[in-house]
Amino acid sequence: MAVDLGKMADLLIAGKVEDVSNMTQEAIDEGMNPKEILENGLIAGMDVVGQRFKACEMFIPEVLRSAKAMSSGMDKLRPLLSESDSRAAGSFVIGTVKGDLHDIGKNLVAMMFEGAGFKVVNLGIDLDTQVFVDAVKEHKPDLLGMSALLTTTMPRMGEVINALKEAGIRDQVKIMVGGAPVTEDFAQEIGADIYGANAASSVDKGREAVGK
Amino acid sequence: MESIMPDMQPMNQTVQETPQFRVLTEDQIEQIYFAALDVLERVGSRVHEDEALELFRNSNEAVVSDDKRVRVPASLVERALKSYPRKITLQGRNGKRSVALQKDHVYFGTGSDLPFTYDRKTGERRRTTYKDVTDAARIVDALPNFDFFMSHGIVSDVPNPQTYDRHQFMAMLEGCTKPMVVTSVDGEGLEDLWKMACLFQGGEEEFRLSPMFVAYIEPISPLTNDRSAVEKLLFAAEKGIPAMYTPCPSSGATAPATIAGMLVQSLAETLLAAVMCYLKKPGMPLIMGGVTTVMDMRTTTYSYGAPEMSLASAANTDISKWLNLLMFSTGGCSDSKWLDEQAAIESTLSLLTAFLSGANLVHDVGYIDSGVNASLESLVMNDEIIGMVRQVGKGIRTDEEGLALKVINEAGPGGEFVTRDHTYEHWRDWFLPRFMDRSDWETWNSEGCKTMSDRVNEETQRILDTYEPQPIDDATRKGLKEIIDAAEKRHSQ
Ligand code: B12
Repeated sequence: MAVDLGKMADLLIAGKVEDVSNMTQEAIDEGMNPKEILENGLIAGMDVVGQRFKACEMFIPEVLRSAKAMSSGMDKLRPLLSESDSRAAGSFVIGTVKGDLHDIGKNLVAMMFEGAGFKVVNLGIDLDTQVFVDAVKEHKPDLLGMSALLTTTMPRMGEVINALKEAGIRDQVKIMVGGAPVTEDFAQEIGADIYGANAASSVDKGREAVGK
Repeated sequence: MESIMPDMQPMNQTVQETPQFRVLTEDQIEQIYFAALDVLERVGSRVHEDEALELFRNSNEAVVSDDKRVRVPASLVERALKSYPRKITLQGRNGKRSVALQKDHVYFGTGSDLPFTYDRKTGERRRTTYKDVTDAARIVDALPNFDFFMSHGIVSDVPNPQTYDRHQFMAMLEGCTKPMVVTSVDGEGLEDLWKMACLFQGGEEEFRLSPMFVAYIEPISPLTNDRSAVEKLLFAAEKGIPAMYTPCPSSGATAPATIAGMLVQSLAETLLAAVMCYLKKPGMPLIMGGVTTVMDMRTTTYSYGAPEMSLASAANTDISKWLNLLMFSTGGCSDSKWLDEQAAIESTLSLLTAFLSGANLVHDVGYIDSGVNASLESLVMNDEIIGMVRQVGKGIRTDEEGLALKVINEAGPGGEFVTRDHTYEHWRDWFLPRFMDRSDWETWNSEGCKTMSDRVNEETQRILDTYEPQPIDDATRKGLKEIIDAAEKRHSQ
């Protein structure tokens, strides 16, 4: 009997990590097309998760659990998918600026991006400007995210942008900023590309910015 | 006066002065406490400050691992806990010893550092300034139900982020004479604020006897202590400056999703600080804290209006009393973006719960937008709520005068009470509303159909237009300026 991809999507929505992993393996063993498993099973499920989150029918812990189920399936599929089919939705480097120890908001943004299929590098907190510059050089991400929760540390985000300019790599990345005292106006003032008010809306904006 | 009751000396009576409220039984508190001790023995807490690590190492009891994790045996914790004072009396810059922190004495005050303010002229949201902080200070000085002041807003129009705390304290002092709770950038910042306070108090010794402020310090939940926080704590211990080390966990994000689990973790964080201060200098006035709430799972907001915050905070106060520590708690705050029905509902629930729990310093009164936006009107509205809440706390007297048999007899069936002496003497015991409208519809209509927010707005404006706090004398002002200038100079390189 053929594996039911609709059921796989349902299991993913229900956050059944192990079941999704097992079912993906079954589908592979049955010789089902990996691309079809990805699109009609995993991605179809995640799309519903996204819709339900927006409709306030699913909540953060559930969304993150579904994302985990998704990646457990992806782990099985990746070796079988062509390079282009298995490519991440984009790559994202994120960190909290120097002098600022607020961690959890930035981590949630990282997790939600990961859930949306981005490859994410979370640099940590209290980071020197140079750490951001080096990370952009090393990882060549599509998006760089910076977090600041303090009025006193916000200006550091502008300093990072200037340092990226000086290093001649500002235009290689789209820059996103966020945190309680940060505003759309401030983001523009310092020359960032995107302001993210919260994790969910930031993911939408991030997706749009990398064109996927 | 002749008693008209047949028997005024009954046996086996229990009366209560005030309502009684508690969330946890002693057995439950012990469960939480033992669990917290277990966390300190097994998991430990990370400390990013060298002097503190050295203190722990030299104790020959705590175990410090290479990753800066400190684990502490119960025996050391219990010794440390015995060293803290059960009473601290705070005084204002006017010398009034107005806040006597001791078990079940409750005082209310603002929160600090709000980045935004709605401009009262344009209505637009903008960054908070020095003047906004001074205005908040004057409002709090004028309002009868506020006992202490935190900056409410952050002064963002100052030269250097590294020295903003000195300017902020100055702005607070300009407007308010009441005792304060202060935030500072680091140990050096706290030292400057303490020197500034000592100018009013006539020196370190006087400050220690009856301090003008409490230092606000926080660990990073879960179980992490950063350098500047520890620096401040050790400085406070050395100088005998009262300090709270107040965990700000969000249940489900930086702490377990069960309230008991969050309380265990934050208690472990508090106990670690208790040991650290004890090793530095036994007996410093340490105050327990905790802004224990949930992270909203739809928006990720750290909620200042959740009923779980009220419940967890009250439980934390139960724990603090059992430990013989004073308690810094939270109330009168809201997630609402605007001073509206939501703000009133959330503020009321948390104020009432915090008051009934007997927490000593209830802060964040007036916060809107989850600790991001300042609102002077919210301060004024909350003043009224605190008045109502305190009234509930008065309890009911059931003595002869309270039972009022005499006057019931006098009035008799079909009589009235308005003209009786008993009424004349007792109606003043009631809460007298200032902004709650109890008028009839005609009067309300003819006076312009004012809503609560209209009345609160008018009072806010009235205070801003007319209220002048007791000024700071010239000599002190000069001393304050010297300290601030010196800080600017040190940080201008
Ligand atoms: C919890 C908390 C802490 C904790 C942090 C623990 C941790 N593990 O992160 C602790 C106790 C350590 C802390 C410390 C301090 N804090 Co604090 N803190 C908060 C609080 C109450 C909640 C923050 C939070 O966790 N929110 C929940 C998370 C999930 O949301 P978030 O961080 O806002 O992130 C979301 C969005 O902003 C956005 N986002 C965030 N970053 C990014 C980045 C990108 C790229 C994008 C796209 C989006 C994005 O998406 C996130 C997810 O939806 C806020 C108040 C508030 N409402 O913001 C104050 C607040 C930020 N803190 C404040 C202050 C003053 C401090 C201290 C200076 C206090 C002191 N004097 O000691 C210290 C500073 C320490 C330091 N050097 O950093 C002030 C800042 C005031 C100001 N104008 O600068 C605030 C506003 C509270 C207040 N009014 O006093 N704090």
